[in-house]
Amino acid sequence: MTAAVDARGLVKEFEKGRRTLWQRVTRQPDMRTRFRAVDGIDLRVETGEIFGLLGPNGAGKTTTMKMLSTLLEPTAGTITVLGFDAAKEPRKVRARLGAMLSGERSLYWKLTARENLEYFAALYHVPPSETRARIERSLDVVKLSDRAEDYVERYSTGMRQRLALARALLPDPPLVILDEPTVGLDPQSARDLRDRVRELRAQGRTVLLTTHYMDEADQLCDRVAIIDEGRIVALDAPAVLKRTVRADEIVRLEVGVDGDGAAFLERLGRAGTVARHERRNGTLSVAVHCGSARALVPAAFDAASATGATIRHVDVVPVTLEDVFIALTGRALRE
Amino acid sequence: MTLAADLRAFGAAVRKDWRIVRRYPTQYVGLVFWPILLPAVWVLAAQAYSGGDPRALAAFAARAGTNEVAGFVFVGYVMYMWLSMLLWGPGTAIRQEQVRGTLEAVFLTPASRLVTLFAPPVAALPSLAMTLGVMTAAMWALFGVALPLDGLLRTLVLTFVALPALYSIATLFAAGVLRFGEIGGVVQTVRGTLVLASGITFPVLMLPGWAQAFASAMPTTYVVADIRGVLLGGLGLRDVAGDMALTLVLSVAFGAFAVLVFTALERSARRTGMLGRY
Repeated sequence: MTAAVDARGLVKEFEKGRRTLWQRVTRQPDMRTRFRAVDGIDLRVETGEIFGLLGPNGAGKTTTMKMLSTLLEPTAGTITVLGFDAAKEPRKVRARLGAMLSGERSLYWKLTARENLEYFAALYHVPPSETRARIERSLDVVKLSDRAEDYVERYSTGMRQRLALARALLPDPPLVILDEPTVGLDPQSARDLRDRVRELRAQGRTVLLTTHYMDEADQLCDRVAIIDEGRIVALDAPAVLKRTVRADEIVRLEVGVDGDGAAFLERLGRAGTVARHERRNGTLSVAVHCGSARALVPAAFDAASATGATIRHVDVVPVTLEDVFIALTGRALRE
Repeated sequence: MTLAADLRAFGAAVRKDWRIVRRYPTQYVGLVFWPILLPAVWVLAAQAYSGGDPRALAAFAARAGTNEVAGFVFVGYVMYMWLSMLLWGPGTAIRQEQVRGTLEAVFLTPASRLVTLFAPPVAALPSLAMTLGVMTAAMWALFGVALPLDGLLRTLVLTFVALPALYSIATLFAAGVLRFGEIGGVVQTVRGTLVLASGITFPVLMLPGWAQAFASAMPTTYVVADIRGVLLGGLGLRDVAGDMALTLVLSVAFGAFAVLVFTALERSARRTGMLGRY
């Protein structure tokens, strides 16, 4: 079966720094360096799945999406989308791809939602006999039918995001790619949009999305690629990825300490794996991986009383994709 | 990916621009004011310099091929506005899409790039027609300039002959916008140079020799001169056939160059990520 997306050895380099016109005219040496925003990604998205690229800002997610959608030319590597070579047949790729990349700014605010969709339907070469029905269906999917005649400038951010999704659906695409679809949305709007994405999968479409929200990736995606500094550091189903963290539970502690808290951490480490700790304004935040919080929490209190620390807050949570990311990179997603 | 689908996309792009323009109605004030003011200033200045002296008019006629000063300026300005729309329209349209943030969304579609490039100048035609209407009425009412109908028809033929060359030059600027973003300074410089070289408000013969040589390589020079000839000098299409042939030859040269430059700069924009920046 042909994969919806098959990318091999994908590399994208950009120049770092700037070179002024004066420097060019006076032929000063080019001091810019090159950095790899995407550094050798291999990616295969199967037909009919929701596939997530999860990573912090600047990890290379958007750059990857732009290469897959033919907006950016890779420095190296090959991309096949729905069986078409993105470098050789970009128009065929675009004709079969519904993409929502730059969100609310990608719409004409001085047009109504319907006028926006009429315009883009023509650009997507939707047959005239089907245009009206496609627009109605797209508006219906994103629950904007009752606001179709309003100017987009009067929409909320969430409504504009939904309209951008409606536009992506106009060509009736077998593959939909969404770049950070819920950024800037309130929780209700984000939940609505996630519901729409699930409906796309139910309709048999493939969805490739990027997010830096671990919950979103966990709830939505059949498979997730965790991306960091341009490389995929892990790729599997969320449940499988979480099992790679050797713990059943995570205990998060906030501890008041006088010094650097090293003695407390050393004692705590005997009861569980200290995955992460961070000291700020006299408070030590610690995440500990353990088999059972019932055993670890009393051990933590013992460690605190033995080292003069004060436990201020205890939180027991299940393993999340954030913990997977921390385990793999040593950093939190938000950093 | 048929031609019919791209033509429908072209029509939709024109409609989209019309809709947006209509929603900023105050700009129509400018469409009424400037077409009267700009040519009138030049005609009044010419009248002041000549003082109505027949010798001055004869000297003008020797250089311009007509003693109709107001008509000469009027046709020059009509041409200036038309050329501005054609030459800078595609670049301006791409720039607007860049700044608005819609360019990537448009480039994500399978529609031909020609839609994005040339629908906006077509969408600007009603505004241009309004401008020309106001200008025609003003020149007739103020200076008694009335253009012959048969001359207008011949002008249409010349216009169609000139379109490929002008669109080719326009494509060069649009490619520059795509790759470099803001190129307003370059456009203003070239626009000024073209105004000078093409004889918008004065005969090209007034230029120094080297500048006349430069002007002779620009399709716009022939277009302006020939349209003046058929509108004011009573020339027929046969009289300007040589110029039309030369314009077509220049079209091929500029066209090939424009395709090469646009392809290279669009690719460069996709390499550098410029499509998503401004």
